[in-house]
Formats: sequence, C-alpha cells, structure tokens
Amino acid sequence: MDIGSLKKQSDLSYNVALAKQNAIEKVNSRQMLVYNEHIFCADPQTICFVRTLKETNEKFFMLDTNNNPVEITDTGDFLSKLIERNQESLNSYHQMYKTFEKKGD
Amino acid sequence: MTRGILLFCFDTEHTKYHKVLERCVHLIKQNLKLQITVVTNYETFKKIRPLGFINYKFIEPERGNTKLGKEWNNVDRHMAYELSPYDTTLVMDIDYFCYSDNLLQFMDTQYDFLVSDRVHDLTDRNTFHQRVWSMIPMVWATVFVFKKSKRARQIFDMIKYVKDYYLYFVDLYRIVARNFRNDYAFAIALQQYNGFMSYDKFPFALATLPADCEIVKMTDAGIAWKLNDQINWIEKQDVHILNKEIPDV
Repeated sequence: MDIGSLKKQSDLSYNVALAKQNAIEKVNSRQMLVYNEHIFCADPQTICFVRTLKETNEKFFMLDTNNNPVEITDTGDFLSKLIERNQESLNSYHQMYKTFEKKGD
Repeated sequence: MTRGILLFCFDTEHTKYHKVLERCVHLIKQNLKLQITVVTNYETFKKIRPLGFINYKFIEPERGNTKLGKEWNNVDRHMAYELSPYDTTLVMDIDYFCYSDNLLQFMDTQYDFLVSDRVHDLTDRNTFHQRVWSMIPMVWATVFVFKKSKRARQIFDMIKYVKDYYLYFVDLYRIVARNFRNDYAFAIALQQYNGFMSYDKFPFALATLPADCEIVKMTDAGIAWKLNDQINWIEKQDVHILNKEIPDV
C-alpha cells in the first residue's frame, strides 16, 4: 500500500474514532433519567443495583447523581424506565456504529 | 406550574445573532416544544423574522464587555430570574442547538438550580481545559435550569454581587481573562453561596464545537463541520457551537 493510501486510511480511522467517541458521549447524556424529581444514570451498574434490591424489597432508598437520597416505591416501574432508557440510547449508538463499519468499504 | 425557555439575543456590529436565534428557536419548537421568551432590544427585534408564538421582553443590554476585541453583549444573564415569566425556566445560549429532547426532563426535578460543569470537545482536542485558566472549577452557564424559589433567588443575588465586584473576584481566583464571563460569575457565585462546598449539577457534559470549526452543513437532524480538511458530523445530539458564522451556512 502506498503512503497516500495509508494516509487516507489513517484519516478515515481518525474520523471513525472521533465519531465513536462523540457517539459514546451522546449515549452518556441520553442515559440520564429524571425519576421522582431526581436524576439517575441508566447505566448497567444502576440497573443491576435496582434489580438486585427489587428482588427482596418492595421499596428501597438510593442516591441520585448528586448524591441525594431518594425513596423508590414503585420499583418495577423504575427498573423498566431505566432499562428502556438504557436500550434506547444504545440502540441509537448501534445504528450509528453500523455506519462506521461501512466506512472502510 | 409554568415551564419555558429564556433566550438572550442582541445583535452586534460584527455578528447577526438574530440569525442564530432563528435557528435555535426552530430546533426548540421541533424538539422541546416549550414556551419561549426572548430577551432582546428593539434594534435586534426588528430584524427577527416571524417565528410563531414567542414572548419578547425588551431591555437595553449593558454594554462595554468585549470578546477578542469585539462587542459582546452577555452581561445581562444575571437578570434571568426577574425576566423569566415561568415557574421553571431553562436558560440557554442561542448558539446551543437542541437536536434532542434531552433537556426537557430536567424541568421536572426537585432542584432549584442546575448547571453543567463539564463540556465535551467534539473535536477531541481538550480545547476547554479550564483548570489552567483559573483557580476555580468553571461551570458552563450555556445551559441552566432554575425554579422561582427562595434558594434560586439567593443564587441570583449572589451572581449580581459577583458581577458588581467582578474584577476583584477575577484577581482572587486568578482568572486569566479580564472580560466578564457568565461561566466564571456563576461558578464563583455558586461556590460562595454553597460555602465553598460542592453543589448540584447536571450530570452530563455539554457537547461543544470549538470556534475554529467551520460549520459546513446544518439540518434539522444534525450538523457537519470541517476542521483541518476533515469533515465530521453529529446527529440528534445537542450541541454548543462557538463559531458564530452559523448564519452563513
């Protein structure tokens, strides 16, 4: 491969890496969820934590993103909203990721 | 409980901010669907094309501030509390473009005042590495939400105080820039008001495009920009665009 092609490939790789990084930041923003007037992050850790507590508790307390305590009374509703938001944001990323794969073709 | 968006827009000799406002309002109507109040002066108002139902409030901007040697009418943000007709207000720079409904949910929190302290440089150059420019962690007054409450009122009173003695605070916090910046005024006020301890913030970084990026395309879905002969784009992601040549796109 000549140096011109290598340079082109390098530029393409940079563009894809940048777009991927920006897409991940978009996911991070979109995973913020306001519930019970508090802000939570619909990330895997929160989802697992809520699911674990829900198994043995009808209601429980947890911290929001500003470390303020919140009582969760409808645990099923909360968990389903967290999962919904998590999957919505990742689905959007997935759509974009598919365009990255095509870029090298 | 009323909810709405407050925007400040004043044309200058060099920049047609009303053109930026028109794009901003279009996206707000498309994605946030909240009431909008624009704080402006009559000179700027005359140039704004009809934008549908918008409330206008007229003030004469406090002049004298500059950015890179050009007129910069940004000093009136401290009046947002008095100027807002809403119980919960989202204040945004007009160069912050809402390509999603992400901000909408933050109108429904228990917090009296929320602002972001992080930005994400979309060009991955860490352009906004703020720590080297002052002794205080900066906030980004680009976007903030407040409620009409005693606490929010007091925070705005603190912001006014900081504004009145801004040069003193600039020296105190060793801020490099001498011109007035809301970002620093808000950061100082929040730190002082909260007893030099942490305060409640938006938990996300504001996606921001530095001023040296040329905007090559803007649609209802996203933007594309050019930097060093490379073109990149984002879709359905809110973005703060620092290049004010947007009207020409």
